[in-house]
Amino acid sequence: MKIRAASILATLLALILPGVCLVSTRQETQPPQEDLRKQIGTIIVTPGNGPNLAVADFIARSAGLEAATGTFNQVLWADLDFAAVSGLVGKSLYPKTLIPDPASLKFDDWSADPVKADYVAFGNLQNTAGAISADTYLFDVKTKQQIIASRHTGDPRRIAHEFADEIVKLLTGRDGIATSKMGYVSGDSIKLMDYDGFNQRNFASDGPIVRFPQFSPDGRYLAYVSFKTGIPNIVVRSAEGGLIGGTSFNSTTTSPTISSSGQLAFSSAVGGGGSMEIYVSNLDGSNARRLTRTTKGINISPRWNPQTGREIAFISDRAGTPQVYVMDSSGGNQRPLIARGGQADSPSWSPDGRYVAFTYGGAGSFQVFIADVASGQLIQITSQGRNESPTWSPDSRHVAFQSTRSGRWEVWQAHIDGTGQRQLTRGGARSPTWAK
Amino acid sequence: MERTFSRIAAIIFTTSVLIGVVGCAKPKVQLQVSRDRVQQGEDVRVSWTSKDAKQVQINGQTVEKTGAQVFTPDNTTTYMAVAKRGNKEARDSKVVAVTPRPAKPNIRISADQEAITRGQSTTLRWTSNNADRVTISDLGTVPSSGSRVVSPSTSTTYNASATGPGGTDSASARVTVTEETPAGDRPRTNTTPPNPTIAALFNQWVLPIYFDLDKADLQPQSKDKLRRAAEWLTQGPNRSIVFRIEGNCDPRGTEEYNIGLGERRAQAAKEFLASSGVEASRIQTVSYGKERAAGTGEGSPDARPSWAHDRRDDFVYVSGGTPRNP
Repeated sequence: MKIRAASILATLLALILPGVCLVSTRQETQPPQEDLRKQIGTIIVTPGNGPNLAVADFIARSAGLEAATGTFNQVLWADLDFAAVSGLVGKSLYPKTLIPDPASLKFDDWSADPVKADYVAFGNLQNTAGAISADTYLFDVKTKQQIIASRHTGDPRRIAHEFADEIVKLLTGRDGIATSKMGYVSGDSIKLMDYDGFNQRNFASDGPIVRFPQFSPDGRYLAYVSFKTGIPNIVVRSAEGGLIGGTSFNSTTTSPTISSSGQLAFSSAVGGGGSMEIYVSNLDGSNARRLTRTTKGINISPRWNPQTGREIAFISDRAGTPQVYVMDSSGGNQRPLIARGGQADSPSWSPDGRYVAFTYGGAGSFQVFIADVASGQLIQITSQGRNESPTWSPDSRHVAFQSTRSGRWEVWQAHIDGTGQRQLTRGGARSPTWAK
Repeated sequence: MERTFSRIAAIIFTTSVLIGVVGCAKPKVQLQVSRDRVQQGEDVRVSWTSKDAKQVQINGQTVEKTGAQVFTPDNTTTYMAVAKRGNKEARDSKVVAVTPRPAKPNIRISADQEAITRGQSTTLRWTSNNADRVTISDLGTVPSSGSRVVSPSTSTTYNASATGPGGTDSASARVTVTEETPAGDRPRTNTTPPNPTIAALFNQWVLPIYFDLDKADLQPQSKDKLRRAAEWLTQGPNRSIVFRIEGNCDPRGTEEYNIGLGERRAQAAKEFLASSGVEASRIQTVSYGKERAAGTGEGSPDARPSWAHDRRDDFVYVSGGTPRNP
């Protein structure tokens, strides 16, 4: 019995001891990259790796709708392509027979070689009472089941986005992003646009300089920094533009972020002592409470965890160069999330709380990285030009960021595995913030 | 059976202890300095090599495992390298003694009225620091700081020169003299050239200061400039001047962090001025981050656009002071 106890103890020690050394040096060890790649690979569907979707061109049923139908078809295709929830079967393989309605659908034409689709989307556009409507259908051609039969009315771009989201919801059970919006900085204005870069419109330009817009997780509020008084301070508006409040400190106050429960956090030098510290306050800027306390430190770029609302990622130079830190929203448990040397900035927490995207680099060269919060693993998702200030799609499957690769700062977008990169703006733009 | 098991366990135990010991080998580090005795403002190259280290820090800052860095110590400094591996660490350090550099003299001169009509007078005012001897053309050797009423008959440039153990500085003030207009024809009486405004004087005495890359520490020459500014800002009516310090960065860093870095630069100047007698309540700070950065290469602070010029504090007069009327 004694021998057995001793041998069990020895075995336990044998298992634990090498671990002691591993644990103590783990922080500096390059983490294995395969796991995060694999994990993300299951999120972004690549052709042959999920169901096959065919999207037949919609048919104009009323005279004069040719242009609107063309737009609808382009937008629907681009939405489903970027959604990356299925393989899209190329249109050149489709049967020649048009399918404006379910009566014209021949299932075998679509399920057989060469289309080999699992699903087919189709329909028609028509004028109804002075507005454009689309009758939209999705069929499972293997089981010959109708999955969607719906009508969308309005602007052709908008109704294509709505149908795309309807398909994504049916195929994945999750909300799509095609009807989502983005705020960004263009010149000295905050602007809004659709998630695909269209419908660019002014939101606010109340200051000689406005910067760092951040939507609330529900998309109902937008906070940003204005230099209106000569000293940068926070302005909070409703998504419709109405003024909610903000700060009016006599020292530099910047980098707002709004929690899922409607609290504001920001960085300010208002506390004196020569440092920039993180504060939380009510949405209108009242009742500000300090969370960080450093000596002559820079604590900046706070971002709430939109999933829990109980943690804040931020940037701090307390250990030398600026790095990504995380703390509880009470200010407790401040700890580095990523500590690799170099310089980090502008963290952004994915809506599902699993990942933090951030800017990382040094010496004038910066790229967008994604860190898995649980494991600390990193992947780099940009490499062309300089890329900064990432923001997450509402479904946590895509990011937008600013890039110099076209010659000046513009907003770009990509899947979280780094594929699917596309340019959204052409007139100069940065600091995107993506919302429902 | 049990004995065999315990023997295998013992072998595993021994092996794992060995792995643990070897895997956790004690790190080594060596640190060298290029010179152990320098004058203030001179560079020291600190280089280090390490072995079996997972992390190396020089004075608390994480650095490459083997490398070198150039420092410009203000005071006698100990450079300490710490190499860590797990909970084991090794240290090596060298002391660099810094002897104070004789401060460079500086001088500023201004005329209360830069333009007078012939027969009128104006007051020259000057201040200098760190000078043994101050001379002004036409006036000869003068006290290190003071004022003198002058009434030149023609336009005159007064060249002031301050000499001390740290070198020489010079400055000048020009007084323009115009003819008296004939009586009965005095259209210009209401358009006499304006006095230099307080803001313009402020800009003569409170000069921009420049910073090293990604640093908010004041350079020795910046401290000289701030001392001179503080001297002027604490004189007579200037004590009511309120002003703003605007921190700026070069364009290489990221946008959000640079707002913080610019604020730190403004705060560093504010703190120094406050410790030199300028009430903190008179000083506003603001950061523009890299909003105004224009450089495309390092260059120098005097050559703009340049990164060296981008990394600066601007000083902007806000209110107060008493205009010097004739």
